[in-house]
Amino acid sequence: MSDVTLYHWEPNANSGKPMLALMEKGVAFSSHYLDLLNFDQHKPDYLAINPQGTIPAMRHGKRVLTESTAIMEYVNEAFTGPQLMPEHPKDRWRVRWWMKFMDQWLGPSFSMIGWNIFVGPAVRSKDPDELKAAIERIPLPERRTAWRKAIYGLFAEEELKESQRRVAVGIGMLEAALGKREWLASDRYSLADINGFNLGYALPLSQPKLSNDELTPNILRWLRAIYARPMTKACWAMGRTAMVKRVAILEQQYIGKEQVT
Amino acid sequence: MSITVYHGEPNGPSFTVLAALFEAGVDASLVHVDLAKGQRHNLACAQQPEVAMSVEGEGPVVVVEDEGMTDSVFIACYLDDVGKGGRLRPTDPYARWEMMAWCRQMIERTAPAAAYLGLCAHPPTGDHAMLAKIGSEDLRARWQDTAAGLNAEDRLADSKTKIAQAVNKIEAQLDGRDWLMGEFSIADLESYAWLAGMVELVPSAFAERPRTADWVHRVRVRPAVAKALSLAREPAPDVCWAPGPEINRWG
Repeated sequence: MSDVTLYHWEPNANSGKPMLALMEKGVAFSSHYLDLLNFDQHKPDYLAINPQGTIPAMRHGKRVLTESTAIMEYVNEAFTGPQLMPEHPKDRWRVRWWMKFMDQWLGPSFSMIGWNIFVGPAVRSKDPDELKAAIERIPLPERRTAWRKAIYGLFAEEELKESQRRVAVGIGMLEAALGKREWLASDRYSLADINGFNLGYALPLSQPKLSNDELTPNILRWLRAIYARPMTKACWAMGRTAMVKRVAILEQQYIGKEQVT
Repeated sequence: MSITVYHGEPNGPSFTVLAALFEAGVDASLVHVDLAKGQRHNLACAQQPEVAMSVEGEGPVVVVEDEGMTDSVFIACYLDDVGKGGRLRPTDPYARWEMMAWCRQMIERTAPAAAYLGLCAHPPTGDHAMLAKIGSEDLRARWQDTAAGLNAEDRLADSKTKIAQAVNKIEAQLDGRDWLMGEFSIADLESYAWLAGMVELVPSAFAERPRTADWVHRVRVRPAVAKALSLAREPAPDVCWAPGPEINRWG
């Protein structure tokens, strides 16, 4: 019996990183689903586990771990199972470089767009007083700002434009890197690929003008290769929202320009 | 396999990499580049994506087999891997997680604040010809903002708060221990790297923080650290700043 509990939302972005890493590693875990759209992550029960109120968190025995990328490295080192980091030190450096680039530069741009079109509208219909109270309960000031912007649609045109610029640059970088190597950061499947899939699994749907089989054949090859792995399928089957079900686009064998259905 | 380290003054990320290099006992050629003049963008590897798009901004570059490596904490992990035997990271996976999570918070919350305050007080001198060579549009924008003069009240105040929070965290962490993770590690180097120059700029954050003051001294007198600091060309390397990591775009 495993003594691992993962507190997570959907197999998407940060939550999906340790979910998929644990599954690829073959570690059984108790799943504790937190509904981000219901602000479960800011409720007292969860704040007792992670006072910062960020998702995900992982309990292993009596210890609680946060920071999704650092959790993935822990999962890889603390359990037996397939190795999810390359052997060569320079390849390891490259895995970490790409994870940071996605976590801190590209990911926030994707998520600003995602929060603006998905998260914000999904919670906006709730009772206004309830929303106000929910925002006030958020422990980290920068998360409070992010939620306020998402809920009330306050992202400035300029910052959305900058996010879209970064998404375009990032897609170009991913395509170039995957043109050089089979996997994102080395010649073996690694935590960088798990991280990247969580960021980009719906790319041909979310950025149809920038990513498809004509423009970014290497990205599409890579996404399909990850989606073909049994653990990816099992992980995404844990999703409950329409947002993560978009992963099914990868079952389409060819996605041309403007052909997204 | 030969290693070349292109580094600036031993402050911020250049400090972390130089000190880690000496701590790990790795042989390398050292080349000084003036990061505050943007000289990094003249390197042969400057347009490689992992150099041009480094989240760390103007940090050192380590070149191995023509590939440029950036981001000081990960370079330090690399040096620990190729060095003379795991001296810079704990071996226990949980302790390693603790160290990486600590460094992540330092990178994401403290470093942008320190860089902002450092640049306000000590603006660098990059010229227009250099700006055109910068591969990353947002890094170029940070140079331009710096040239125009940084003094946004809200950013200054927020940055000072973040420095005070980091020092509070360090003071608490050092309760009953000499080093942040118990054993000496990259966390000590990375934390010192960004905070050494803040003692003068945000003195209130360090007031009545005796454990932090002792720790700063303890880091400084380590032979590898002293060697890194001895490479300074300026009398006070901790006033040398170049545009670093950006302040979180989400507010």
